[in-house]
Amino acid sequence: MKRSKTMEFGVGLFMLVGILGLVFLGLRVSGMTLSAPSDTFRVEANFSNIGGLKPRARVTMAGVTVGRVEAIELDPEWYDARVVLRLNSDLEGQLSRDTTAAILTAGLLGEQYIGLSIGGDPDVLEDGDIIRDTQSALVLEELIQQFISNMVSN
Amino acid sequence: MQSNIKYSAARIARLGRKGCDTMESLGRAGIFLAQSAVGVPSREGWSLWLRQMHFVGVLSLAIVLVSGLFIGMVLALQGYTILVDFGAEQALGQMVALSLLRELAPVVAALLFAGRAGSALTAEIGLMKATEQLTSMEMIGVDPLRRVVAPRLWAGFVSLPILTIGFSVVGIWGGYLVGVEWLGVFEGSYWSNMQASVSFINDIGNGIIKSLVFALVVTWIAVFQGYDLVPTSEGISRATTRTVVYSSLAVLGLDFVLTAVMFGGL
Amino acid sequence: MFDNISKTLFFKTLRYACNQCYVCRNKTTMKVIQPMTDVPFIEIEDLYFSRGDHEIFRGINMTIPRGKVTAIMGPSGTGKTTLLKLIGGQLTPDRGRVRIDGQDVHRLSRKALFTLRKRMGMLFQSGALFSDLDVYENVAFPLRVHTNLPDPMVRDLVMLKLQAVGLRGARNLSPAELSGGMARRVALARAVALDPELILYDEPFVGQDPISMGVLVQLIKRLNQALALTSVIVSHDIKETLSIADYLYLIADGQVVAYGTPHTLDANQDPRVSQFIHGEPDGPVPFHYPAETFYRDILGQASAVKAR
Repeated sequence: MKRSKTMEFGVGLFMLVGILGLVFLGLRVSGMTLSAPSDTFRVEANFSNIGGLKPRARVTMAGVTVGRVEAIELDPEWYDARVVLRLNSDLEGQLSRDTTAAILTAGLLGEQYIGLSIGGDPDVLEDGDIIRDTQSALVLEELIQQFISNMVSN
Repeated sequence: MQSNIKYSAARIARLGRKGCDTMESLGRAGIFLAQSAVGVPSREGWSLWLRQMHFVGVLSLAIVLVSGLFIGMVLALQGYTILVDFGAEQALGQMVALSLLRELAPVVAALLFAGRAGSALTAEIGLMKATEQLTSMEMIGVDPLRRVVAPRLWAGFVSLPILTIGFSVVGIWGGYLVGVEWLGVFEGSYWSNMQASVSFINDIGNGIIKSLVFALVVTWIAVFQGYDLVPTSEGISRATTRTVVYSSLAVLGLDFVLTAVMFGGL
Repeated sequence: MFDNISKTLFFKTLRYACNQCYVCRNKTTMKVIQPMTDVPFIEIEDLYFSRGDHEIFRGINMTIPRGKVTAIMGPSGTGKTTLLKLIGGQLTPDRGRVRIDGQDVHRLSRKALFTLRKRMGMLFQSGALFSDLDVYENVAFPLRVHTNLPDPMVRDLVMLKLQAVGLRGARNLSPAELSGGMARRVALARAVALDPELILYDEPFVGQDPISMGVLVQLIKRLNQALALTSVIVSHDIKETLSIADYLYLIADGQVVAYGTPHTLDANQDPRVSQFIHGEPDGPVPFHYPAETFYRDILGQASAVKAR
């Protein structure tokens, strides 16, 4: 029966390896935090063009990640894109009402993310508020078109 | 002319018969799976399952981990040479992690599993059949599907996902060794780019679902080939080959289907 | 450790095992019950079975009496093992039926069939010991699956069975370490572990050296008497089988050719029977596989060449 004991131990170790591996993948690789869902708040922003922005993209402030894009949908009233952001709750009541949201690109070809820059309004954004001041994504084709038409008119 | 018609008629008949045979054996395999999958809980089932877990899972761990390490390292090396041309070597972590989690870990672990554990399962059950052990078990009044096949099926089903997780972890670590320690990618961007792009549900979860499907298919093929073979030494060697061939094809084919469903927006 | 009931049970099994034990057979005190008339235990009626296009049985009728040793003999390839598998319910006949103790084997539900099989033991030609268990666990296997006996009890029973086949000392060996004869004796111990009413022996004497052959013959005989078993032996070893069988069935070409006691068969004048019983090379069963004549096979080609 001694053989069976070492076998049980081996299989137990094997299962443990699996569980630890899963925990490693969760925490270290996918960057999950154990206390994530509770302390965030929600802000909306409308953009006329979001370019290649995807759900789960980063939201940064001065380069520091402060939240994620939760959902992107078409606003049927204005026919622009309504982007729902989830921000860390430490920022709730800290961001001024005239905070700007811009869609930026990491590097020349990298992924797109949202950068927030703070304004000067004494009023602050609360849960569910809407950011009015937005900058759409730069679309390369439009830039090139503009550049060419400028050249021609010159 | 007439003999020509006769010849092609015979060929069509042969084709039809072959189709019928294939369907028949597929049906047998389905019934077989249904009968053995239900037979898991029993007083002794636990220790039988444990023994098979040891055989199928623990003993496959070494080969799977070593392969994972090398594949992660190669992936980092190849990825780096491509990404550095675009000045995007910070994305190395993301590339290594995503290709491992979504594709390479489930597929390569399943292929290794088919070669290491699947062929051994077929040969073992086949040998038990050839030496009349299965028949004698039946004559003692014990259903060999429950006693012999079910623990192996369940052990395979549980071990392959664990092996796949191990493969991914070791592979990502191997990529870290090559990318960060050797080629000098900034450590922070290796991990943070990875964390920014890997989703637990979409990437890790789907990878595990893939490996569950592969586990079921590979062990099913292995135990069925063992149970259904012609009980001679030639039959055993043929069935072992068939196990590896069929399960490799099934894994690769199913991988395409699953990828299309999970990531291809189908 | 033991309460009273277990104690009596223990001594009962001990005494009973001593009776079946090969060593002290001369001191046996147990009365062997000999039924005056032969009550049929297995009845086979009009059995047809074929494998692919090959007809193996064409209407077999047999009655196997309770408590006797019945041998089924016939040349190789007549499907004797298939017949045992039909009796055990592993194969289903095309037509006809097999009844064991009144129950139609092939009409039973899977569960009832498995219950019936607990009353049968079968000794396979290869022994068919489970290769992942040692000798002790092999013999304990039926007890563990079908009874809830506590471990010490199982141990005692296994020791008694192994003692009966003279292999108590080999209990820790694995099947791979046993010789063919030993493996068959362990398999015999396993077959009688649950004290069945019926034992089917598939070619028990094939490939045995004279000593283990003698041991096996004695064991089968002793077991049958001590346990009042019904035994069915499938074999083509004439001398050994004749020495222990009460009844003989001779099958050839898918049918029963002759039956009776060894004595009446010995005197049977049917050429097929006498060829088999006396082991003559030539007779109704040809030595040669069907072929064209020897002359044409050897010289046919030469003459064809010459003709050209």
